[in-house]
Amino acid sequence: MNNSTQTLNPFDKLLDLTCFTPLGLLSLLVLAILPMVPPFNQEYLIRWLISAAFIASMAIAFDFTAGLINIVNFGYCAIMGLGAYTSAILVERLGLSPWLGMLAGGLAAAGMGLMIGMITLRLRGIFAACLAWFFGLALMGLATKLVWLTRGPMGMRVDRLFDTPSNVPFYYLLLAMMVIIYITCKWVTRTHMGVAFMAIGQNMEAARTSGIDPVFYRVSNFVLSCAIGGVLGGFYAHYYGILTPDIMHTSKTVEVLAVAYIGGRGSLWGGAAIAFPFIFAMELIRSSLSDLPGINLVLYGLLLIMVMIYYPGGFAQFFNTYFRQTGNKMASYLFNGVAADTK
Amino acid sequence: MFQMIQKSFWEQVRKFNSLAGISIIITIVVALAATIDRGGYLLVNTIVTGGMLALVSMGLALTLGVLNIPMFAHGEFFMIGTLVGYYVFNAISAYVGSHPESSLVFWGPMLTIVAAMIIGAVAGVITELLIFRQLRKRSRENWVMNAFLLTVGLSVVLVNGHQLFFGADFKGIVGYYSGPSLAIMDVYISRDRVFALIVAAVVVALFWFFMTYTRTGRAIRAVSQDETGALIVGIGLNGILMLTMSLSCALAAIAGAGLLFMYPSYPSIGLEPLYMAWFVVILAGLGNVLGAVMCSFMVALLKVLTIEYIGSGWDFVVPSILIILILIFKPSGIFGSEVRGVLDK
Amino acid sequence: MLLEVKKLNAGYGYLQILRDVSLNVDTGEYVCLVGPNGAGKSTTLKTIAGLLSPTSGEILFDGEPIGGLPGNKVTRKGISLVSEDMNLFVNMSVEENLAMGAYIIRDKKAKKKQLEFVYDLFPRLAERSGQLAGTMSGGERKMLAIGRGLMANPQLLLVDEPSFGLAPQLTENVFQSLDVLVKKGLTIMLVEQNVTKTLEVTDRGYVLENGSIELSGKSSDLADNPHVRKVFLGV
Repeated sequence: MNNSTQTLNPFDKLLDLTCFTPLGLLSLLVLAILPMVPPFNQEYLIRWLISAAFIASMAIAFDFTAGLINIVNFGYCAIMGLGAYTSAILVERLGLSPWLGMLAGGLAAAGMGLMIGMITLRLRGIFAACLAWFFGLALMGLATKLVWLTRGPMGMRVDRLFDTPSNVPFYYLLLAMMVIIYITCKWVTRTHMGVAFMAIGQNMEAARTSGIDPVFYRVSNFVLSCAIGGVLGGFYAHYYGILTPDIMHTSKTVEVLAVAYIGGRGSLWGGAAIAFPFIFAMELIRSSLSDLPGINLVLYGLLLIMVMIYYPGGFAQFFNTYFRQTGNKMASYLFNGVAADTK
Repeated sequence: MFQMIQKSFWEQVRKFNSLAGISIIITIVVALAATIDRGGYLLVNTIVTGGMLALVSMGLALTLGVLNIPMFAHGEFFMIGTLVGYYVFNAISAYVGSHPESSLVFWGPMLTIVAAMIIGAVAGVITELLIFRQLRKRSRENWVMNAFLLTVGLSVVLVNGHQLFFGADFKGIVGYYSGPSLAIMDVYISRDRVFALIVAAVVVALFWFFMTYTRTGRAIRAVSQDETGALIVGIGLNGILMLTMSLSCALAAIAGAGLLFMYPSYPSIGLEPLYMAWFVVILAGLGNVLGAVMCSFMVALLKVLTIEYIGSGWDFVVPSILIILILIFKPSGIFGSEVRGVLDK
Repeated sequence: MLLEVKKLNAGYGYLQILRDVSLNVDTGEYVCLVGPNGAGKSTTLKTIAGLLSPTSGEILFDGEPIGGLPGNKVTRKGISLVSEDMNLFVNMSVEENLAMGAYIIRDKKAKKKQLEFVYDLFPRLAERSGQLAGTMSGGERKMLAIGRGLMANPQLLLVDEPSFGLAPQLTENVFQSLDVLVKKGLTIMLVEQNVTKTLEVTDRGYVLENGSIELSGKSSDLADNPHVRKVFLGV
């Protein structure tokens, strides 16, 4: 489709460079304006927006491993928690700036990812998922028991990133992080590395025989995904201001996993797109049916089951079949942009 | 008959490689040493936990080996067992309270276990019919991963369904049998522990007998070893898959009800037995049912020793790290795997 | 007619392999299906045995339609398949494998009779009755696969590539045992790569090329057919 770059106008070029479709950019703009529009400018709704954007960013990075190389990183939130704790401890004990702390969190998580990757790389699919899960359990256990370092289940107080009661700056920072994460992941999939990831995810033996070294690519994929998780963990710590081992719990990983898979495996954008309406629906159900605790999660489990049985490609597949195949030129431009393989 | 079983048992043991033998010996030696060091209750705890863990992990190994499903919702069937146990036993205790000389004083707990088993089996059948059969009809490509995600969804539904309908509080019982502890040598064992131990031993023995000597049990093993071969000899797949699912869920539910006196029922009670069972199954080699029984005792010992010598809470950390270490050096598990298909995507 | 296949179309997903295959087998006959690699011989057998469902066409066994039935039901009707990759239960002993072969027979005496029959035919299996199937040699496994197929006391035995991967001496043994079975009145449909040998021993044959039947007739006639000689024997 995108055969000659010269014919593109600068706007399309920019879109192509950032891997957005016009619709994607439009929705991003909507998200950016949202905190100023009346119903959404209340603090609790901004908090919802932040948790949605957080899940969305996590889902992108999670899908980077799960969708591309077909390995479920079942300890993902524990790795995120590792980043959070690293950052929090460095900031609180050594007086580091929170920004550097977030970076350090990313580095620690990347190191952990390297270790898990090195160990699981010989194992396949579900084995690797289990091992990552055990790592996660061990990390969570450590966070609970090393009370002198993490204050355990009592929770650790952390300075917030911005010294203001408002949540708006956090929201914009997170939105920017989400965009950067998306563009980074998308860029990587465009290089020959991305092609290798897909090959490994679809058929590892075939990839190996065609000269792709699965070990190297799997580990690098894992490390990148974990590093993003670590930075996000740092954000989490410095946003909520309190850190307990609960954030490393398996159920948190399940939440990210559900959003990523309902959004559509391998699409990267699907999880991010679905996260906002999804989190809002969940929060609405929870607050309006507060006498039925857990109903929102029951519905969400049922949704995951339904999607997996009847529509395993998730929202992205649905979108691709029903919207992108449109004959209307204007709509097609809106949905596909100039290069059809982008958001 | 007994000799036949014994002979076949030793044949099975000999089939394992030397690593399995060594680890069994190490387990026994460590268990004895710890017993001498700290007292007999360690051994009792290990055996009770191990026996019940064996029920859960046999079921998990079975779903993996026969249905090729990496079950993440297996702990939720344990939870169902605790729930059924709680309600049934409370009803029985209320009856016994007004009729103290009724024979239910003795038979009540067993009735509870049987009720949990039946409900667990029914839950398994419903799960298979409503969820896995639907997926199987639609597509079998990327089956392991899709089935895994389905079980994740199922687990979320069951855990929160429990909270929705039964509340999030602890629902426990004082004990199945009242009365003084039994003393063997100078170790005191509560009657409930003896009861749990007997239940576990009986169920494991029955299950093993069923799998080895009955036509249906052999058919289940045949399906796990070669699905096409099973079809060729005339085994109906759908029936066997449903039976296996209900069997493995019933086993988990029995364990749940059997341990109710130690672990009260609450929504996420299933997580711990789940990951313990996964430890066992991975350690034993995916889908290896007999290996799972032996590894259950090893993992139980590991847990008991960790709590005893390092402190409670560390039982998350130490066994995980040890198992990761073992897997680094022996990825196919101690006992080797009966099912290679599970490892392939 | 014991088996009648009419205008059978089948394949894997969108990939069609069989095109309007029609063939029939009479009771007591020894029929072979030969053809080059990828012609669809194994697919034909798998479709008859119910491991694949046909997209169209009819399969009649004893006058009863069996097309589209799952494999276990077809076995119950009296058709046993000895597949190319044998599909043995590798972690079960020889005896257990044979017992599984008689899964559809409930009568213990009948089971025992079948077992004796198979052990009689393959004394080697009787010697190895306690050994795990996965640890046996290729020839023994082939025997076990055929033996397991016989355990269900079938009316029709479908045999896929019995000589594949075997040494010439063992191939000879396998062919001899099939001969014995035919003499005892069993109907056999054989798929083979070894065309010369196959046409020598069988009564009648079909030649399958590119998913459709090209030629059929008496095996001795087929062996003399110039087309067959050119394609398979390179003469």
